[in-house]
Amino acid sequence: MSATGFTGIAVVVLFVVLMIAFSIIHKDRKSSLIRPIAAYKKIEKEINVSVEDGTQLHISLGRGGIIGPDSAAGLAGLSLLKQVINKSSMCDHPPIVSTGNAVLSILAQDTIRGSSQAISLTDQRKSPSGELIGVTPFSYAAGTLTTIRDDNVSANVHTGWFGNEIIWLTTAGERQSSPTIAGTAQLPAQAVIYASASDPLIGEELYASGAYLGAGKMHEASISAQDVIRWIIVFLILASVLFNLIGFNTFIEEILAGSM
Amino acid sequence: MKIKINAPISTAIAIGVGIIVLAGYFIPSMDNIRLILLRTGLVLAAVALLAGIVNLVTVHIGKMGKESENSGYSLILLISLAITLIVGIVDMVQTYLVGRPNFQITNWVFTNIQLPIETSLLAVTTISLTYAAAGILRKRMNMFSISFFFVVLLVLLGSFSIPPATIPFLQVIRDWILQVPALGGARGLLLGIALGTITTGIRILMGTDRPYGG
Repeated sequence: MSATGFTGIAVVVLFVVLMIAFSIIHKDRKSSLIRPIAAYKKIEKEINVSVEDGTQLHISLGRGGIIGPDSAAGLAGLSLLKQVINKSSMCDHPPIVSTGNAVLSILAQDTIRGSSQAISLTDQRKSPSGELIGVTPFSYAAGTLTTIRDDNVSANVHTGWFGNEIIWLTTAGERQSSPTIAGTAQLPAQAVIYASASDPLIGEELYASGAYLGAGKMHEASISAQDVIRWIIVFLILASVLFNLIGFNTFIEEILAGSM
Repeated sequence: MKIKINAPISTAIAIGVGIIVLAGYFIPSMDNIRLILLRTGLVLAAVALLAGIVNLVTVHIGKMGKESENSGYSLILLISLAITLIVGIVDMVQTYLVGRPNFQITNWVFTNIQLPIETSLLAVTTISLTYAAAGILRKRMNMFSISFFFVVLLVLLGSFSIPPATIPFLQVIRDWILQVPALGGARGLLLGIALGTITTGIRILMGTDRPYGG
């Protein structure tokens, strides 16, 4: 096994151990230790608004598939969808779901079916759809606009893999005066979201929906584990900078080269 | 009593395949199994595309039945889909008859219809991005938005390449912004995304997060 492979396994094992440890530590804790994120508070508020007004939430899951770097963002979107359906079981109209990837569409329908059965939302007329809107970035964005402009949609949640075309979705929401919560894993699109969405999810906030929408202690534990690893990374970066400044790295390189 | 067996099976498959694929990245001897599973996933994704198109057609046929102002768009979509499908089949038959790749009509459709439409949509995106950048201070008047706005302005001013609009001082500032704070910020965001991706994956492998029907 190579050094890279060993490091990879070590990181995964460290994450698993930390997550289990934090879930045990936080087991009896009533209050949450995680920092508040405005976008997730907004989602909870909009779920309540949709229950009271008889309106619908629109959740677009982006174009992420299940193979490749876009998969985690798509899976995070599905996780959020599951939590929203669970929380909006009292709604007259369940959320509208749109996707730009065929596999994600099937997984969304599966999530909807599973969650609807779990909360006894068995009335098919009430069950939310998992519609495939388009398979190219612009066809997906253009097709989703009609859903955003629907008068019965009270808020839009865009989480998943989006490119710059997300500007169409966020500005359409703004024109409808409906709140837009958006997050993506693509860096240029994050800048677009920051400039155009009312409630942006930046960086790793996209993957934390479960912890903020009450999916369980393991989700909160994973956030704590992330923080520990983040501190380790900060320490390693600072240590490497310090080694560079004092010339320790050159010393090590010379030892490795056998010149001493 | 109705026993629900789908959920444990799908969960077991998701966790098992996930662990094998992950192990394949780190352990060279498992690389072949990882590739087989990924190729199987790719084939399934292609089949899912067919299922997705069926879903798309079903949804839009349903929309056409309703008295909606968007039913016209659904009709256009279905007609376009049918024409493209027929064109693709004709080209495939021609390819079979000629014995070499012959996708002239499909290429014509993409070059003369799809490409101009996508290009014009890209132009609209550029305008929308400019509008969003200009409106950020109206949306959120805080320190981050103000710095975002002025950094955008500085980078744009430093990007002029035609004299006399070129200002060397602004170009130096632009290069510094792109190479130091922007690059550092992007790396920080990427680290956060990587950590979020790892925890999402591990939650799925542990079965605590099941973003499917399981």
